[in-house]
Amino acid sequence: MVEIKDFKTRLKIEKSKLKKKYLSDDEKRGSSMGFALKLGTELVAAVAVGTIIGFILDSWFGTKPWLIIIFFFIGSAAGMLNVIRTANRIQKEN
Amino acid sequence: MATNPMHQFSVHRIGPEIKIGGIDISFTNASLFMFISSAAICLLLFFATKEKRLIPGKVQLIGEMFYNFVAKMISDTAGSKAKPYFPFIFSLFMFVLFCNMVGMLPYSFTVTSHIIVTLILAIFIFIAVTIIGFLKHGFGYLKLFVPSGVPALLLPLITVIEIISYLSRPVSLSVRLFANMMAGHTMLKVFGGFVISLGVLGGWLPLGFSVALTGLEILVAFLQAYVFAILTCIYLNDALNLHH
Repeated sequence: MVEIKDFKTRLKIEKSKLKKKYLSDDEKRGSSMGFALKLGTELVAAVAVGTIIGFILDSWFGTKPWLIIIFFFIGSAAGMLNVIRTANRIQKEN
Repeated sequence: MATNPMHQFSVHRIGPEIKIGGIDISFTNASLFMFISSAAICLLLFFATKEKRLIPGKVQLIGEMFYNFVAKMISDTAGSKAKPYFPFIFSLFMFVLFCNMVGMLPYSFTVTSHIIVTLILAIFIFIAVTIIGFLKHGFGYLKLFVPSGVPALLLPLITVIEIISYLSRPVSLSVRLFANMMAGHTMLKVFGGFVISLGVLGGWLPLGFSVALTGLEILVAFLQAYVFAILTCIYLNDALNLHH
C-alpha cells in the first residue's frame, strides 16, 4: 500500500514537470517563429538600403554605374551581418 | 471589381474633402479603422481598470495579461533601464495588434497593410531610438558603428557596412509588417474568389483552405505585432546599454 502511494506522488511530480516543459516549449516556439519570419526581410532590407544609397551618391557625384555596384555589395555584406546577428541572438536565447 | 484581390486595400474618402495648404487630409477609411482600433484599445483598458478587484474579472484579466506580456518582454530584452519606455512600447504593441486584429474582421480595412503607416511608425521609432542613444551616450553612441578588434585596414569598410545595417532597421521593420499583412489578406481574398468561381461542386476545398488560412492569419497578426514590439525593445536595448 505504501508503495502505491509513493508511486502516485512520483507520478504527480513527473506530470507537473512534463507540463512545465511543454509550456516553456510552446513559448519558445512562438518567439522562434517570430525570429524566423524576421530573418528574410533583414537580408533584403540591407541590400535595398545599400543600393538606394549607392544610387543617390551616384547622382550626386555623377559617377553613374560605379557607386551603385559597390554599395550593392556592401549592402549585401550588411544584410549577411544582420542575419548572423539575429541568428546569434536566437542561439543565445535557446 | 469585388473579386479583385487588391480592391480591399484601396483607400477612399469618407465625408467631405478637407485640404490644408494643398495637402489632402480628408477623413478616409484608413483613418476610420485607425480610430476604431484606438477606441477599442481605450475601451478595453477603461473597463479593465474600472473595477480593480483582487480576484480579477474577465476584462480585468485580459488587461492584466497584456500588461504582463509587454512588461515581461521589455524586461527580458532591454533590461530594467527600459522601464520608463513602457508606455510607448505598450501603446505601440496594442496599436499594431488591434489594427491587425480589426483587419481580420469581415468587411474591415487593414491599416497595417499599407507601407506608409508601418514606415512612419518605424521611422518614428528609428529617430527616437537614435535621439535616446545620443542623449545617453553623447558622441560615444557612434561607437556602435566602430566594432572593437577590427584591423585598421578594414575599419572604413566595416564602418560603412555597420551604418548601412543600422539604416536598414526601419526598412526591415516596416516592410516585414506590411508584407505579411498584405500577403495574408490577398491570399485570403484569392481563396475566397476560388470558392465563388468553383461553385457548389468544387468550392469546398478552397473554403476549407480559407478557414485554415484565417486561423493562420490570426496567428500572423499577433506574431507580427509581437515582432514589431520586440524589435523596438532590441533597438532600445542597443541605445541604452551600449556594448559591442
